[in-house]
Amino acid sequence: MSDSPSYRTAVFGATSAIAGETLRALLADRPAEILLIGRNADRLETVAADLRARGAVCEVHATDLLNPDAGWESLLAGKEWDLFLIAHGSLPDQDATLADPHATGREIDINLISPVRIAAACARILDKQQKGTLAVFGSVAGDRGRQSNYLYGATKAALETFLAGLRHRFADLPAVAITLLKPGLTDTPMTANIEKGPLFSSASKVGEAAWKAIHKRKSTAYLPGWWRLVMGVIRHLPEFVLHKTKL
Amino acid sequence: MHSWGRVSPVTTTVDAPAWADQIRPAPGPVLAYGLGRSYGDSCLLSEGRMIETRFLDRILDFNPGTGLLRAEGGISLDAILRFCVPRGWFLPTTPGTRLVTLGGAIANDVHGKNHHRAGCFGNHVPRFELLRSDGTRTLLSEGNPRHAATIGGLGLTGIITWAELQLVPIRSAQLDVELVRFSGLDEFLELSKDSERFWEHTVAWIDCAASGRSLGRGIFIRGNWSAHGGLDPHKPPGASVPVDFPNFALNRFSITAFNTLYYRRFFGRTNSLQQHYSPFFHPLDSVQGWSRIYGKRGFFQYQVVTPTGAGAEPMREMLRIIAESGQGSFLAVIKTFGEKASPGMLSFPSPGITLALDFANQGESTLELFGRLDEVARSCDARFYPAKDARMSREDFVRSYPRLDEFRPHVDPGMSSDFWKRMNA
Repeated sequence: MSDSPSYRTAVFGATSAIAGETLRALLADRPAEILLIGRNADRLETVAADLRARGAVCEVHATDLLNPDAGWESLLAGKEWDLFLIAHGSLPDQDATLADPHATGREIDINLISPVRIAAACARILDKQQKGTLAVFGSVAGDRGRQSNYLYGATKAALETFLAGLRHRFADLPAVAITLLKPGLTDTPMTANIEKGPLFSSASKVGEAAWKAIHKRKSTAYLPGWWRLVMGVIRHLPEFVLHKTKL
Repeated sequence: MHSWGRVSPVTTTVDAPAWADQIRPAPGPVLAYGLGRSYGDSCLLSEGRMIETRFLDRILDFNPGTGLLRAEGGISLDAILRFCVPRGWFLPTTPGTRLVTLGGAIANDVHGKNHHRAGCFGNHVPRFELLRSDGTRTLLSEGNPRHAATIGGLGLTGIITWAELQLVPIRSAQLDVELVRFSGLDEFLELSKDSERFWEHTVAWIDCAASGRSLGRGIFIRGNWSAHGGLDPHKPPGASVPVDFPNFALNRFSITAFNTLYYRRFFGRTNSLQQHYSPFFHPLDSVQGWSRIYGKRGFFQYQVVTPTGAGAEPMREMLRIIAESGQGSFLAVIKTFGEKASPGMLSFPSPGITLALDFANQGESTLELFGRLDEVARSCDARFYPAKDARMSREDFVRSYPRLDEFRPHVDPGMSSDFWKRMNA
């Protein structure tokens, strides 16, 4: 899979709980050199301490990923990368966000515009290397527009389409993998205010599944896998049935 | 929110910080909540704010040479084991479940099967940071009175943001285990005494449904770490109990049948085996949500320690009362505590015999049974355990903990719990 003895990874939005669990699963599997990129330096350092204790060589870089001129690209230059992982996202209160045009734009920025910009920059590097993996966290919410979270869902659906196109572009380069990771309901701080039901998975389980999907160079992975079935049903519900639900 | 006994759930405000800088210790009253494995109301606060700590689960530092681990307070012992076992280290002592947080293990000063050697959990936490409701963060080391107040302090002295834990080296994740059947309490005490020197871990299961000549029969379980067998950590839980059992599922007959079968599960007097640490230390953790077998009504745990000087008689009397009531359960555990003292001011273990049992909540009749057990316990100056308790009286609490007055000044005015309110009503 990789020529370098240590698996070199750059993570965007590295304070995400699922990203953290994905990296823990990676480190349980093999040695890695990890660059953590995110907004809050102290929190990145906390994540780095955890990963270092688990054997990683870890560096952090605090930057504003929403700013297209932040200039983090230079950090990646001159090295060969095995994995780029894009993990930042936000799941706000939908009604409040839609009531405020600035907040609406900001959410789209976090969940779509910034990941697309980063993915495009990473794709340039993969193209130059002619190998490596780009893995991006989408969501099952992108599978169908539903009243409960269609703003978030719309951004994730658009991201999915973008990645599908990117995968098409690299179709003749089997050493490059573009992986879309679609967690279902996951018990993380992001969902702390949502009542937990049997459909919730632990972040560690989702992280392990995410690493497995990356390792196997999957195109699209539901995390855990049974969400593919659940969303298959939801995607195929006729609208008049869907509209009778509170999904 | 509910505690592990599920008897009286509370509705309250809950914070779930993901980062140490997000913990809001004020306005009060607040109470840190780990994984909710305390049985009664010591981990609950109904009029106030509960701060769930389980997302604060990072390892901050680990020295592979000395085994000193520093981690955030919300990390579970489960996660610590998955980390340290493959590296050849183990918890200095572990309670019967690994699904508790580091902070919770300190705040309840939990104990395990090696108490006669290792003492309590609080004997192995050289330093930790305490966040008080006034916003101050203080590093507390062994010898500091507030360190001692926080060990076993039920979360009332502040929030443990991170702690250092001294792990112990192991060569294998397996234990060499010996099971010895005993016919009564005297034999149990003899076995305990004989085993302390050569066995690191000892505990006994007791058939609390047996009466008459069989009263106090059980199986003594003792183990030492194996020298070989690999360093595989435990697997994630397989089975789960997804729904509450109907109340009739546990009755006098099913309990007696289970206990008799369990007592007779091997031939001869002793049985030797090699066992992974997971079934040895945490037999119920492989079944998620096992407390649901007690149904919606929930259950109580009754645990006391009777002082060494009182001998076996009070324990025998309690077992007689329990057998007579027909309300026993599967989970009756008896162990002798050693002399090693914990720094904790409100630490539960003290030299003597401890008995722990689960009882389904059958309302009045269960409380009546507890009343009778309490009388025996009081007569020999036994001590009660807040982490397991949902009903002890204020007098019993005060009598159980002679260092309570020394503890009180360390209580953070912004912290409280339903248990603490009950004890100070």
